[in-house]
Amino acid sequence: MSGRRSIALVAGREIRERLRSKAFIASTVFILALVAGSALLGQVMDPQKTYRVAVTKPVPEGLATALRRAAQPFDDAQVRLRTVDSASAGRRLLEDGEVDALLLLATDRLVFRKSVDPKAAAVADSAVRAVRNELPPAPELTTATLHPPDDEPGDAAVLVAAAGSLLLFTSLAFYGQWVVNGVVEEKNSRVVEVILSAVRPRDLLAGKVIGIGSLGFGQLVLVAGLAAGLLVAGVFDAPAALGADMALVIPWFVLGFALYAVAYAVAGALASSQQNADTAAQPVTYALVAVYFAGYVVLAENADGPLASLLTVFPLTAPLVLPARSALAAVPLWQHALAVILVLGAIYALVRFAGRVYAHGLLHGGPGLGVRAAWRIAREH
Amino acid sequence: MLTLDAMSKRFGPVEALAGCSFTVERGRMLGFLGPNGAGKTTAMRAIFGLVELDAGGVAWDGRHIGPTERLRFGYMPEERGLYPRMRVGDQLAYLGRLHGLDAGAARAAASAWLGRLGLADRTDGKVEELSHGNQQRAQLAAALVHGPELLVLDEPFAGLDPVAVVTLADVLRKEAQRGAAVLFSSHQLDLVEDICEEVAIIDHGRIVAKGDLEALRRASERRRIELQLDGAPPEWLPDVQGVELVERANGDVRLLVDRDVDPQNVLAAAERTASVVEFSYGPPSLAELFLELVEK
Repeated sequence: MSGRRSIALVAGREIRERLRSKAFIASTVFILALVAGSALLGQVMDPQKTYRVAVTKPVPEGLATALRRAAQPFDDAQVRLRTVDSASAGRRLLEDGEVDALLLLATDRLVFRKSVDPKAAAVADSAVRAVRNELPPAPELTTATLHPPDDEPGDAAVLVAAAGSLLLFTSLAFYGQWVVNGVVEEKNSRVVEVILSAVRPRDLLAGKVIGIGSLGFGQLVLVAGLAAGLLVAGVFDAPAALGADMALVIPWFVLGFALYAVAYAVAGALASSQQNADTAAQPVTYALVAVYFAGYVVLAENADGPLASLLTVFPLTAPLVLPARSALAAVPLWQHALAVILVLGAIYALVRFAGRVYAHGLLHGGPGLGVRAAWRIAREH
Repeated sequence: MLTLDAMSKRFGPVEALAGCSFTVERGRMLGFLGPNGAGKTTAMRAIFGLVELDAGGVAWDGRHIGPTERLRFGYMPEERGLYPRMRVGDQLAYLGRLHGLDAGAARAAASAWLGRLGLADRTDGKVEELSHGNQQRAQLAAALVHGPELLVLDEPFAGLDPVAVVTLADVLRKEAQRGAAVLFSSHQLDLVEDICEEVAIIDHGRIVAKGDLEALRRASERRRIELQLDGAPPEWLPDVQGVELVERANGDVRLLVDRDVDPQNVLAAAERTASVVEFSYGPPSLAELFLELVEK
């Protein structure tokens, strides 16, 4: 029988048996409900928006009423009007964050601090048109900002980066644990002797990783896909472009899982028969946690720095760091490409190593094999 | 034909196999015997590539055994194991497919074997819910489901109740009749004597006897004599050279004698002290032969 058929059969069994488990169905429904719920919650909890607008004297009659009326269609937003003596006084208020926008009627300009709020601009624009109704055609307001919009990532980008890397981290650890559980169960129940009498060890390893990975992939496509879709549809108060960054989580799960699941499988195979799956998984999980926090700290410090670039392309960190970093900063195309190439190389090397060690680990009873012994086995074969 | 050729394997200081060789032909059933630690399990695992030999090898029909050949073999390992949480029927069908059956054939074979082994009503039950005896049956079905050409069973009779022993013996006999080569290890020598025509006896990693069981018994240097005596003194032994007492109880006396001892001399000695109710002479039993061979 070809290796491919064995791999497909092993993977098929992993998928079928797990789909049958209520825990899997329940966890999928739960995560989906969490994502959809957070979107809904965002809508419900969104406090009634009040735009604070400063305007220079003299204030035209009816402006406050017109602003209130214009704001109504925007989820019943309120407008608080503040009159200032001069443009410079208004700028000071704007600078101090006392108001959100400054309306300069003399020059038909609407000034914001750093970035233009399109809703506030629309409200002000239609209010001014209404007040100047008798003077058609009403000149449109020109928007401006006090400072150029800086490169600091917005709140939404930080959220997407954090959620994306957390989602990746938890799914890699979660499904990695499944791989360990499966390997340890096969080893402890001794069924592995029966299986290995018909299937090559590397095919068993591949089938297991592919089967569990497919389930994880399916669950992640549902979750990340829903989140990305909600971002693009504008349900979240965030730029639609972040949807693409969220979707980047999916291919990087595939690469990251291929890398870490193989490591998890080897950890399971090397565990002693007394050891349970949790302790067997520990070395790999610790590595994953370290990578997650290293990425978090480095990206929070400076998402554009050389250290961030290094973590973007380093195979062990790339799967978690790259999607997060691309939400926070512009990652050059060559770094995307290099990261993929290096991760694929690392997967290849790890699979070769694992293929040699896996069978020995599985068939080795008694005390666990140490990493050094595993390395020796890999070199001997 | 399965050929085990000069297999050698060393685990650290322990020499598990030291040039172990024998063959099993299609349609034959061979009992593989030996004391604990003699190398039986290592030899059987080597057939499935679960042990890497230091020297020697295994062949099927004269060809090196690789992954493709193994698909036509069935294996029941010493340490039993199936997926505990998987349904029995699904599990057997899965193993059948791993050995090359298509989905429909695997399902059919699984349910046929479950029926034959009295597990039909457990098809949808999980393995971990089965009793120990039923797990054994499921394990046997797992080795048989794909209709293997070679069947290798490590201690298949261990832990079975007498009814299950009869069923298993019958299954193995039929598998051999079907044309499969059957190799199984056992410590139940009387059972092996009943169902096997051929045996191979291994000790310290070497085959010390192999071949037709009858011929091996006849080739022994010793003979057994059984006497039932009436009125013999309790400590009686025939005054004949080369006689060894095996067992004595309630007038039954069992002796092993050298082959060149004339049984008439023993009978005459017995008749001098008591009346002889029964007298039998013949080659040693398998158990006696086994002790003779592995004690050396």
